[in-house]
Amino acid sequence: MGARHRARGAHARQRPQSRPLRKAGAAYLFVLPALVAFGVFVFYPLVKTAYLGFFTSPPAPNLPSHYVGLTQYRAVLSSSDFLDSLWRTVQFVLYTVPAGIVLGIGLAMLANQRLAGIRIFRTIYSSTVATSAAVAAVIFFTLLNPQVGLLSYWLGRKGGSGVLQSSSLALPAVSVVTIWQNIGFTFILMSAALQSVPDDLLEAARVDGASSWLRFRSVTIPLLSPMIFFTTIVGVIGGFQSFGQIDILTQGGPNNHTLLLIYDLYQQAFKYDNTGYAAVLSVALFGILLLLTFMQFWFFQRRVFYAR
Amino acid sequence: MTSPPGNSTEIDSSRADFTPVTDKALAALPLERGAASSVALEGITKSYGPVTAIRDLTLEARAGEFLVLLGPSGCGKTTALRLVAGLEDPTSGTVRIGGRVVNDVDAKDRDVAMVFQSYALYPHLSVGRNIEFPLRARQVPASQRRQLVATVAESLRLEQLLDRKPAQLSGGQRQRVALARAIVRRPRAFLMDEPLSNLDAQLRVQMRAELVELHTRVDITILYVTHDQVEAMTMGQRIAILNEGVLQQLDTPEAVYRRPANAFVAGFVGSPPMNILRGRAVAEDDALWVAVPGGRVGLSPPLVRAVEDRALREVVVGLRPEALSLDPNGTIAAAVSLVELVGHEQHVALRLPGGQLVWIRMGSEAPRMRTGQDVRIAATGTVHLFDPQTGNLIEVGNE
Repeated sequence: MGARHRARGAHARQRPQSRPLRKAGAAYLFVLPALVAFGVFVFYPLVKTAYLGFFTSPPAPNLPSHYVGLTQYRAVLSSSDFLDSLWRTVQFVLYTVPAGIVLGIGLAMLANQRLAGIRIFRTIYSSTVATSAAVAAVIFFTLLNPQVGLLSYWLGRKGGSGVLQSSSLALPAVSVVTIWQNIGFTFILMSAALQSVPDDLLEAARVDGASSWLRFRSVTIPLLSPMIFFTTIVGVIGGFQSFGQIDILTQGGPNNHTLLLIYDLYQQAFKYDNTGYAAVLSVALFGILLLLTFMQFWFFQRRVFYAR
Repeated sequence: MTSPPGNSTEIDSSRADFTPVTDKALAALPLERGAASSVALEGITKSYGPVTAIRDLTLEARAGEFLVLLGPSGCGKTTALRLVAGLEDPTSGTVRIGGRVVNDVDAKDRDVAMVFQSYALYPHLSVGRNIEFPLRARQVPASQRRQLVATVAESLRLEQLLDRKPAQLSGGQRQRVALARAIVRRPRAFLMDEPLSNLDAQLRVQMRAELVELHTRVDITILYVTHDQVEAMTMGQRIAILNEGVLQQLDTPEAVYRRPANAFVAGFVGSPPMNILRGRAVAEDDALWVAVPGGRVGLSPPLVRAVEDRALREVVVGLRPEALSLDPNGTIAAAVSLVELVGHEQHVALRLPGGQLVWIRMGSEAPRMRTGQDVRIAATGTVHLFDPQTGNLIEVGNE
């Protein structure tokens, strides 16, 4: 190390300016491909979207769109339609993310036991990772079908309105499907985190007189906290962007009761050709997620323990 | 305690450079006299599938005793400790703490404290919270918890470190936090699993002395596992030596050193180890000798009687390094193989004609020898006679 420092020092004395410059040039060169890709596929669309929000879409195709400045932003963001779908999205995230994490940890704890045949359960628990949102939705769509669905039968809702057709139960039902679909991913992450909790810490706590609940609360959970943090961030973002299961199960219905932000956005943009409106929703979604993520970082900062 | 020369000097040097734990704080320690309990394993066998880690082990640490479990790695000593803690269940046999059978008592209710080799400090908790944890687990009121933590922290010189995280501590400090966490709640027994093995040599000597100091001042039962015979000799009131899951000997350090139960114990305790020589009993020059590679070893009258009574033809003798000395008229020829100067003395490895190495202990003032030099050695000290079949000690003959 020392020798390298000296060598670098001697080099710098001979050609004081060129080296840092050349180094910086090389660095920019390496960053360039990523920068171009991000520029084309992320930054430009972002700016363009924000810009589109300044225009109202024409009532019929092929008519010019109108520049209205911030008026459309103000109108959309204060509309009850937007606030309703935002509230539904928040509810959806609150239903899915905490429950998903709790179930993921629970299953990981179960599968972490040293039992014969436990691998079978590990495989089953993680299997939903290999299931796409569409497949999961189709499975549950069938199960929840009012006429032939097994779940509908068990729930005593044979015939008449099914769960997905009920204004009070449709969002919880979609949430359950989402939880089910995400459980494999959470399970795998939590299992990995759980394996990194040293056995002797749990044994020490046991000898120290801690009940299994205290061991879980005071040793396991703090050591899982980085993974809980990560899963929460990813889960919240994923929750705000849920689309596939809504599209297949309810298309936002019944009566808009499962109309989440992203589905609203999709309908505005591609069904009603209301590009300006959708652009405003996009920017809003971006802002909300940015804010939420910052808030989560701030919240978890003091509560997460990172091993060195 | 009259220890053999090599070990006694080590005790003295360790005690000299050690800062005593403050008296006042120790007097205020929350440990009541009489809290210490006896710990007993009775006929314990522990198997993991086809592997037997412990075979029919019976031993007892008396209340207030410092008992060391000594043995090579894989001998079952850590398993024995975990059985007492309740972290393992015996395949058969009985575990008693304070006379009570605890086989069916969960680890958290056995009221023992364990110091792990890794210290197992909770990395996300401060030092203070670590020490407090066992009290919290037992629902001790907060005000009392604070007081106990403060007292113990003072006695182990941790007051300045209470707000630090374990990762910010040195090895010795972590060790003391682990001790503090163990001591804070007045356990019936302390179980220590190689607690000093992660420390550097100097710190180990100091912590050794601190532990002995702690034990002499507070009435605690300590079950201490180590593979280091120096630790065992210097710290234990009694030593239990295990090999391959079987108890070899349970006795005071002095007795273990002077009368090792068998050739394994003889070779394991003492550094350099006892020289075990195998030879034939021969009658020459009107006396009974043991013919070994390179010469012969004389036997004292009690040993001669023992050999004659058993009509032994093959004989195994053990000689501590201090029982052999260089002597131009010595009865064994050997060549110098290695010289280790360890400050106050020299350990010299000699190679016998058959290839076996023999260690002798010499003063540091003796002239250094060259490697390859031919020398003669004489047996001038105690000779141990072992059964050639079982390896058990038959007789110790003093010259």
